[in-house]
Amino acid sequence: MKIRNYWNLRDFGASIWENAGRPMRVAIVLISILLVGLLPFMGGSFLATPIASFDAVLVYPVGMFVLMSLGLNIVVGKSGMLDLGYVAFFAIGAYTMAILGTTTKLNTWEIMPIGIAFAMIAGVLLGIPTLRLRGDYLAIVTLGFGEIVRLVVLNSTWSKGPNGIANIPMPPHFGPLKFELENQRLFFWVVMAMILLTIWMIRRLTVRRPGRAWEAIRQDEDAAELMGVHTLKYKIWSFTLGAAVGGAAGVLYASKNLYIAPEMFTLNVSILILACVVFGGIGNIWGVIIGATILGYLPDRIRFISDARLLVFGLVLVIVMNFRPDGLLPRKKREKAIVKKGANA
Amino acid sequence: MAKIGKTLLKLDNVTMKFGGVTALNGVNLEVKEGEILALIGPNGAGKTTVFNVITGVYKQTSGIVNFDGISLGNQKRYQVTALGVARTFQNIRLWGDMTALENVITATDVHKKSGLVGALFGLPRARREEAENRERAMEILRFIGIDEYSDRLAKNLPYGVQRRLEIARALGTSPKLVLLDEPAAGFNPAEKVELAATIKKVRDAGYTVLLIEHDMSLIMGISDRVVVLDFGTKIADDIPSVVQNDPRVIEAYLGVPADAS
Repeated sequence: MKIRNYWNLRDFGASIWENAGRPMRVAIVLISILLVGLLPFMGGSFLATPIASFDAVLVYPVGMFVLMSLGLNIVVGKSGMLDLGYVAFFAIGAYTMAILGTTTKLNTWEIMPIGIAFAMIAGVLLGIPTLRLRGDYLAIVTLGFGEIVRLVVLNSTWSKGPNGIANIPMPPHFGPLKFELENQRLFFWVVMAMILLTIWMIRRLTVRRPGRAWEAIRQDEDAAELMGVHTLKYKIWSFTLGAAVGGAAGVLYASKNLYIAPEMFTLNVSILILACVVFGGIGNIWGVIIGATILGYLPDRIRFISDARLLVFGLVLVIVMNFRPDGLLPRKKREKAIVKKGANA
Repeated sequence: MAKIGKTLLKLDNVTMKFGGVTALNGVNLEVKEGEILALIGPNGAGKTTVFNVITGVYKQTSGIVNFDGISLGNQKRYQVTALGVARTFQNIRLWGDMTALENVITATDVHKKSGLVGALFGLPRARREEAENRERAMEILRFIGIDEYSDRLAKNLPYGVQRRLEIARALGTSPKLVLLDEPAAGFNPAEKVELAATIKKVRDAGYTVLLIEHDMSLIMGISDRVVVLDFGTKIADDIPSVVQNDPRVIEAYLGVPADAS
């Protein structure tokens, strides 16, 4: 028995958005940003997480998961390449921050572009030889890459091996706003800004040529190449952009956590982020955000049942995937062209 | 009737082997500008293999494929398309989750210069090219006569429209030569007549057409020349009425009459 689409939140949301005029849309965006921005003040409500502090949970796992899931969604959802080693880019960003932060005078914001650049370079270097592979083969190679990065930092002296790197500096304060361990609101707002930037980037790209190329590659790669799409180039771009987002998340994570070690970058993280994408709805930005939010938040919310919480977490995954096999908010089956309006033919 | 011009595509002694199987055996083929050339032959004769060699899906074992003065031997598939060869597929291979219009727009991207950075920041050239693409794609859909379906997902389109959309998508790449792989497969007689008119229209618009087809009446009606393949070898190459009566062609299709042997 299939129970599906009894409530179609996605189309409901889309219809509101499509019927709204420009001022209305601006208002919706601003109000949503404001409401999400106020989340750290909700710690006293029913949302409160026992044991872990609420605003810390909002930054990691919730915010970070959302950011990384959006990055992975470019690779898995938009261009259909299964990447099981996404944590590698997160690790590269984090270690760039840790090493440069402890050995040089550069602050987090100055290291951020360097970390992103390193992650992107790793994406290109890994992409050029491996993106000729498809499907399962690509998944295995990326899985290997994720493990290689972890094993290299585990066994190298420059990364202090299994001891990890401590005393990573916090980001410098913005005027009166200070980054503090006890109060992570500011971190949350920074993550939010990064998420907004990523959403903007993805939305921009999907309505134009790169988005079409990715979509064509995802649906039929051979046909895409025979219709003149430079498939390897666009696959590498997709991979690299995903890597960039992962790298940025890594830099911020290291600077927030103040300490990183190789055991934080295991295959589990890659799988969990992939689960967020699949759970929320592959290829749909909003689905991915909701999926990552729930999967990031739930384990901390139900921490009071201690040992049983992973069981509950697993059950939720299984039940939801049974009822909504395409994710909470599946990719929209549009009957509308992926092109910017205003270009009237 | 369009004027037939110089040689556009030339296959020179092309051989294609898969392990021990010789799919094409020293095939020579010339396609001239402005003509409709039909490629026929029994099942397994190597017709689609010819298409796959031209478009770079397979690399020929030996021989030269020359298109418009350029050897296609070392070109990648997308480069072959950019040079001006477009094809359709025997088994429809549209991008099902895209609309008809998007399918064609994606093909029109091949000659555009703007890339990822332009798209990201909405640079003027990227915006202009998006508008041009959209207009051109709409034009092609109208030309093929399926513009009313422009906003429908390709996978939800009726079969006949999908076949036509394949042609539209191929035209989207602004090719000089269009390769049509059994465009009338599964059509009823009325649809075939309509399709024949469309193919003629495509040729009259300045495209050169190389066509694989099984339906003899369709081929006899529209093609300027017919090439017959049998077991990877060319056995005839002439105007339709001559090919039709060629004893070797009849033999390949029907076998030798019992009393003749």
